[in-house]
Amino acid sequence: MTEPTKRTMTLNLSDEEMSVLDSLAQQKDVTKTAVLRQALRLYQMVSVRRARGEKLVFENDETKEKAELMLL
Amino acid sequence: MSADVSPVFLVNGSTGELVAAELRDGIDELDLQHWEHNWRPYLVERVKEMQAQGVPREKWPQQLHWNWRYKARVAEMFLGQRGFAIRCEGMTQGLMLVGLVSDARIEEQRGKPLVYVDYLETAPWNQSSLQRPPKYRGVGSLLMNAAVSLSLEETFGGRTGLHALPQSETFYRKNCAMTDLGPDAAKQNLRYFEMTPDQAQAFLKGGK
Repeated sequence: MTEPTKRTMTLNLSDEEMSVLDSLAQQKDVTKTAVLRQALRLYQMVSVRRARGEKLVFENDETKEKAELMLL
Repeated sequence: MSADVSPVFLVNGSTGELVAAELRDGIDELDLQHWEHNWRPYLVERVKEMQAQGVPREKWPQQLHWNWRYKARVAEMFLGQRGFAIRCEGMTQGLMLVGLVSDARIEEQRGKPLVYVDYLETAPWNQSSLQRPPKYRGVGSLLMNAAVSLSLEETFGGRTGLHALPQSETFYRKNCAMTDLGPDAAKQNLRYFEMTPDQAQAFLKGGK
């Protein structure tokens, strides 16, 4: 399968942000680039669905308690 | 959407000979026209025959209600969704939509990202339950191979998951050797199947 053309960019992160990125990459067993691409995909999905008037809700698996994530 | 194209091979269901085909990274208008004007009429005709023969409803093709035009349009809006098509001799032979924002459920992989196969369908004349012999064999396996390869490209290790329609469970269990995690109440009790990185390597080596 051919990979789509990709462009390169420089990203400036604080130590704290880089530490979170490192930790997520390790925890998820993917590269840091993959974490950022996942974040972009999720952010775009949330943005599109919120623009359609949908809400982002977290539900506790055990208690079934729901909490809406407020994005301003 | 412009598609990247990779050469692949299908097997002629009658002669067993290899036939050159294309794996296309993207579902375009021509694929949707093939679905609308070729797949749909074939499926509807077969269902009418089954109805006339008194075949019970649960044996009818379970993907009958899938609307690829709608699914492809929705998928185009999201970075986290990708479409694939297989074409052979000028006709679309299989379609697949995958999602890239789901996590693994198998205990040792839990929380790690995987490629989730939202929909996978082979043209009705390639389904042995609808036509014997099928026109081409290997469409489903090639599409699953594309999903697993994408998972590797994304550094997801080959992790792949899906909910299977009852008629497709055997394919995912036997041909793809995925782990069956049982019925999922959140998804109409469809059985959830998952492939670990080790299973993905075995699947790619097996070339089923």
